[in-house]
Amino acid sequence: MANLSTKIKMYCDANGVSEVDFMKDVMLQDDSDGNGAYIKEWNLDIAQPTDAQLSAQESAANTEEANNQVRATRKAAYGNIGDQLDEIYKDIDSWKARIKSIKDNNPKS
Amino acid sequence: MAIDKIQSESINLADTFAFTGTVTGAGGLNTPYFEAYISANQTLADDTYTKLTFNTETFDSGGMYDHSTNYRFTPTTAGKYLIYFLVNYNKQAVDQFHYCETQIRKNGSGHKAYYNDFYDNYTPYAITTVGESIIDFNGSSDYVEIWGYFGVTSGTGVVSNASRSAFGGYKLIT
Repeated sequence: MANLSTKIKMYCDANGVSEVDFMKDVMLQDDSDGNGAYIKEWNLDIAQPTDAQLSAQESAANTEEANNQVRATRKAAYGNIGDQLDEIYKDIDSWKARIKSIKDNNPKS
Repeated sequence: MAIDKIQSESINLADTFAFTGTVTGAGGLNTPYFEAYISANQTLADDTYTKLTFNTETFDSGGMYDHSTNYRFTPTTAGKYLIYFLVNYNKQAVDQFHYCETQIRKNGSGHKAYYNDFYDNYTPYAITTVGESIIDFNGSSDYVEIWGYFGVTSGTGVVSNASRSAFGGYKLIT
């Protein structure tokens, strides 16, 4: 199940809001009482989503979280930027092949 | 026989006094006091203020810390208290740590916030936040809790358990 924050990002993006600050625009809270996270404050101009509207974002949110995981895995595999520059200077084709291999082995959804 | 009066000119302040009895009515006590920790890693949903569940008591001198339901300290003695915490945020993965914040909340509202932001570098694997504050309690309804916030690039993060976590406090002598 996707994070509530991811579903809200998907909902906002679909309604013309590309960036959400979860410390200001929308505040989520989990009281640790077993009921999970909920929207504590909604300060955006677009309407606060209903539960049904959030549920409708479940699939897209799961895909986004999976892709975020892929991005993180790729980033770790790419390595340090300084090392990559050295790699490029020495043999750019070899570097391109390595980067392609990382992308191919970690495809996005 | 207990003495009830000391004349200042009868005391040499350079002397050493080795009491063998009990001195009462002087100084004060740092009670009540408490300290608790988290017994198992607590998972935090991304970008969500979450009450931290310090569920195991190391000390609780007056039974004023609720370690099973609300995870809050509600002292029944009015006064100023030093409240402190130790919270370790662990993404358990590289390149996914965005930011974190630990809050001391009094009566449900933010009192102090300890914020760490790694912008788009995401470099930390885990970091520890430590904070303290002096808070005035009315001795009846006032309470404090510790809340955590973890922003990650993917999935969830955890707040570490055992010796990497602490929530405590004690009354100040004023």
